[in-house]
Order: sequence, then C-alpha cells, then structure tokens
Amino acid sequence: MLIRDAQGREQKRQFTILRRDREEGGEQDFLVVFSRPADVRNTVFLVAKKPGSDDDRWLYLPGLDLVKRISAGDKRTSFVGSHYFYEDVSGRGTEEDTHSLLETSGTHYIVDNTPLDSSSVEFSRYQVWINKQTFLPEKIEYQDENGELYRRVEVLESQEIQGYPTVTKSQVSDLRSGGATTLEFRFQKYDLGMEESVFTERSLRKPPREWLKRN
Amino acid sequence: MRTGLTTSLLALALLAPHAYAEDDWGDDAWGDEEESGPALHGFIEGAVGGRTSSDPALIDDDQTLAELRARLESETYLGDTRLSGKLDLYTDAADGGDNGLQLNLREAVAEFTLADNIDMRVGHQVLTWGTGDLLFLNDLFAKGWVSFFSGRDDEYLKAPSTSVKWSVYGEDANLDFVWTPVFTHDEFIEGERFSYFSPLAAAQVSAPAGKVVPEEPSESFSNGEFAARLHGTTSLLGSNSTEWALYGYRGFWKQPNAINSSMQPYFSRLNVLGASLRTNVATGIGHTEFSWYNGADDAGNDPLVPNNQLRFLIGYEQELIPKLTLGLQYYLEHIQDYDALAANDGNSPYRPDENRSLWTMRLTYRAMQDNLILSWFSFYSPTDQDYYHRPSAKYRFNDQLSLTVGGNIFGGDQAHTFFGQFEDASNVYARIRFSY
Repeated sequence: MLIRDAQGREQKRQFTILRRDREEGGEQDFLVVFSRPADVRNTVFLVAKKPGSDDDRWLYLPGLDLVKRISAGDKRTSFVGSHYFYEDVSGRGTEEDTHSLLETSGTHYIVDNTPLDSSSVEFSRYQVWINKQTFLPEKIEYQDENGELYRRVEVLESQEIQGYPTVTKSQVSDLRSGGATTLEFRFQKYDLGMEESVFTERSLRKPPREWLKRN
Repeated sequence: MRTGLTTSLLALALLAPHAYAEDDWGDDAWGDEEESGPALHGFIEGAVGGRTSSDPALIDDDQTLAELRARLESETYLGDTRLSGKLDLYTDAADGGDNGLQLNLREAVAEFTLADNIDMRVGHQVLTWGTGDLLFLNDLFAKGWVSFFSGRDDEYLKAPSTSVKWSVYGEDANLDFVWTPVFTHDEFIEGERFSYFSPLAAAQVSAPAGKVVPEEPSESFSNGEFAARLHGTTSLLGSNSTEWALYGYRGFWKQPNAINSSMQPYFSRLNVLGASLRTNVATGIGHTEFSWYNGADDAGNDPLVPNNQLRFLIGYEQELIPKLTLGLQYYLEHIQDYDALAANDGNSPYRPDENRSLWTMRLTYRAMQDNLILSWFSFYSPTDQDYYHRPSAKYRFNDQLSLTVGGNIFGGDQAHTFFGQFEDASNVYARIRFSY
C-alpha cells in the first residue's frame, strides 16, 4: 500500500490479510498481519465483522505483548494512516443504504446509493460503476452534502483467480487534498479451508504461519 | 444486484493477499523473506528530558533522560520454531553518566507448537495480560517504572523476564501458565534518577545514602514465580464476545516494600487470585477486574510487611467524535486488617488510607492521516489527593522518522503519597527516532 499526500510525500504499508466468511454475505473474520514498515512490524489486527451491529476489534502490540480491545468506533476513518477507510477494507453492508439503478451502459450498471443514517457517514450519496460481467465495483464516487465530488475509489487492475473475479490493484483519491493511496494485492487464494480458530487471541500473539506462507 | 455490490465491495479485501505498491523498499518486497535470510530491523533514538523544577533531595538532578539508543531486532525460523531477538545498546548520561555503552536484552525467545493445541514461548520475553490501561491487578510481570516516569517509549513500561510460557487452547477455555524460575522484580524507583519518600527517615531521600538495595529471594524452585490465566470468550452481558479470565500468581511483591529486622528492604511473599471481564458496552469497550493480594502478614499487624489487599477496577472507553477517544477507569485498593495495622505502626502519620481510590482518564486524538497523535493520560486519587499527568504528542514525519514530546507531571497535597512523593520528579522530554 502506497500512501501519497498532497505534497507528494510517500509512506508504505505491507500486510497480509486472512479473511473467513462465517456465512455468505454475513459475518466475517479478518486477521491483518503487518510486515512493514519497521515501526508496525508484527502488529496484528483482528476484526469480527457483524453486519447490523458493532464489529469486535483487537490489536496486538508486540513491544508490550499487549492484546488491546478497541472500540468499534467510526468505520469511516483512516485505515492505518491510508486514504482507505476501515469500511473500504471490510465492506459496507447493503442494508445501510437505499439503492437505485441510474443507468445501464454497455459495460456497467451505474447505481446511486443514499445512506439511511446520514449522521453516521461523511457522504450524502455515492455512485458505483458495477461491471456487468464480473460484478466488480470498478469505480465509486462520493458526494458531499453540496453534491460536490470529493472522493473516488477505483479499480486499476483485476483478474480472475480460481474462478473469482478479483481486484489486484486499486486506488482511493481524496479529491479535496489531492492525496491518494494505491493498494496492490498479490498471492490471493480462495477456499483455503481456514478454521474459525485461526481468528482468535492465539493468532494475535502467534500469527498462523501455515496460512501466512505464500505458497 | 445487491448481492453483487456487497460481494464486489468486499473484493477489495481478498483472501491471503500481500498488499504493497511500488517495489522501492530497497529489496524485493514481494519476495520470500526466508529465502533472503533474516532481516535486521530496529531503530536509533536520541532522547533528552529535564526536570520542571529542581529536586533538592538529589545530588545530581540535572537530567531525567539523556541517552542515545540503538535497537537491533531480528527473527528467523528454524523449522517451525520462531526465534526472535531484540537488543538495545545505549549510553545513558542521566544516572550520573560515565557508564559507557550499556546493553539491555529485551527479547531472546523461541516460539513453537508442542501439539496441535499447545504453544510454547521460552526465553527472555515481555509478558502482559489483564484488562487495565496502565493499571495492573493480575498482571504481575515485571514493570519498568524508571523508564515509564522518565518518558522512554511505552514499550519500556514492561520489563522482560526469563520465563517459560505454556499455552493450551481448548474449545471453551484456554490456559496460559508462566514459570519464571528466577524472581524478576520491577525496575523500581531506587533513589538515583528520582528520589522517593522514606517513611522511616520521614523525608525525601536519594542515593547514595537512600539508595534502595533490597535483599533478593534466594534462587530455588519454590522462590520462582508461577502465574496462570484461564480465559475464554462467551455470550455474557448482552454480547456474544465477552472475554472472561481467571488469574493466579505465586511469587513475591514486585517492589521491595517490606523491611527486614536489619532495616533492609526486601520482597515479601505474595499470592494473588483474580478475575476479569471485557466486552462491548454501548458503542465502546467496558472492562472490570478484581484481585486479592494475599501476602506474608495475614494478621496485618506487622507494619513492616504489606497487609493483604483487595483491588478492584472498572473502566470504559469510547470514541467521542471521529478520531477522538476517551477512556475512563476507576480503581480501588482496599487494605485488609487495617485496624491491626493502625494499632501497630506507632500511629504513623504516613500510614496509607484503608481505601485508596484512583481515577484515570485517557484522551487520544489522531490527526493528519494518523501522522500526529495527541495523547493525555491522567491519574488522580481523591483519597491521596495526588495526581500524575502524562501528556504527549507524536509526529511521524515518514516511515522512518518520528518525534515524540511529552511530560510526566506529578503532584499532591502531601509529601508521602503514591504520586505526591514524585512532585520534584516532574519532567518534560523529547525523543527522536529513526526506524529501519
């Protein structure tokens, strides 16, 4: 992940994400293990995502051997200092917005989305360009209360992995500040058969090497 | 359509991906680390700190922090065993100086899986458990109070011990057992960098005359430390992810707060039993913890040995507005057999209160894309009428360079209370760190 601010200054994050669906389209577990930069190396983040209620979140700080439980908080704040929000990583539940089909182009469905609870988000609406073949959201544009476009998430590269259309490179741009973050994924694999027990305090203190190996 | 939208939004976070952008970390960021051998990491840090007022009890009270520190860290795998080492090399001018280059081994540990559900962690290591934020009830692993008071990085609040940690994971509960063969006490306030109040001298004292040189327990199996935690997650208090834990400890008080017949401080026997809960409450995190400190003075009538205590903690943390988090804790320390203590301490004016209560507050504000973190932590005791404030600001210039400035501000109405005695230890500090 490359984070670039408006002045062109760059920071980077490298991490591995393990994800397990407890049910299709429902509760999910995430384990994020950081490998770079040096000051966040071996920091581990565990999230149990629960659509409709607050997520459970834990952070392991290796210097203190501390498992810290953190409040669910605002999901639309920076994910580890990047322009991505926690919600961009974990996914926004479809039940949180109303949706209407604005337009169907040759390649995309263009869907307009309005939040049910506008006090919990910083946008007034967003539009999504969904690829008609892959159903990947290839572009998302957010508008503020004045209808001004201020944030864009876009897919830069995607490919099919094990039959699943998969984003391999994406970017989020803060159109007000001019900053942007590019996220590139490699070594994706699906249907690994990870057990629920991978997503527990044990993995915070001792990340599961068998699943973190790249092959 | 809706399903498609969810699925594809989630496609931003994929299974087992390694995320990274440009390959300019100076090596192949996508390559396998193990093939290129263990990497060396760490930091170089310069730190200075000074008292906000002079301390007449100290001979040399110039600086509270003056050091240049180099951290070397590396980890590798031998088969499935993870080996990790962390070593600090530093020069320290604050403790009288002239000690040359000093070594501090922070970690030298081997981690391996003994059976499917058993993990072992053996060697020199930092250990932590319990639910308190800077308050420790059932965590009797060694602390570094001199580091904490002088403004070193938070990590130094925990001091390493040479221990064997055995963790068994089950369906409903997990068990951690830690054996520390040689008793490892806290890095306590010994009167060198910071002076302390001596009830025997009825004055603030320091080294050399007032230096605390405790008698250590002799090395034997029964004088080792044994700590256990039985813990799990369950549906309780309206949440299906409530964390519960039961704790036990056999060892010694971690600070030399007992005095023997030759008037030398020592670490008296201590056994602790306790429990804790932690869960989501409203939109925040609630926690509570309890412990019973059972020591060598069961009757409570020996004023030179600490009485038994009951300790209780309850706390809550919540994000107030985006990026601003508030944490509050209430802590109570109850001295048992207080009447026996009061009847035998010669009516000491420095006798602690039967019930010492403490409030803590933590405010954290993250700004500038998390590059600036403003933090304020305060301890305040309404019973001791004393306080300890810990303001700090950390700015991260980039992935390598960060600057931290902060303070440790103590005060109180009386000279002998827990925080009040450190009023002249109040200091401000700055640290600049280059990570590699």
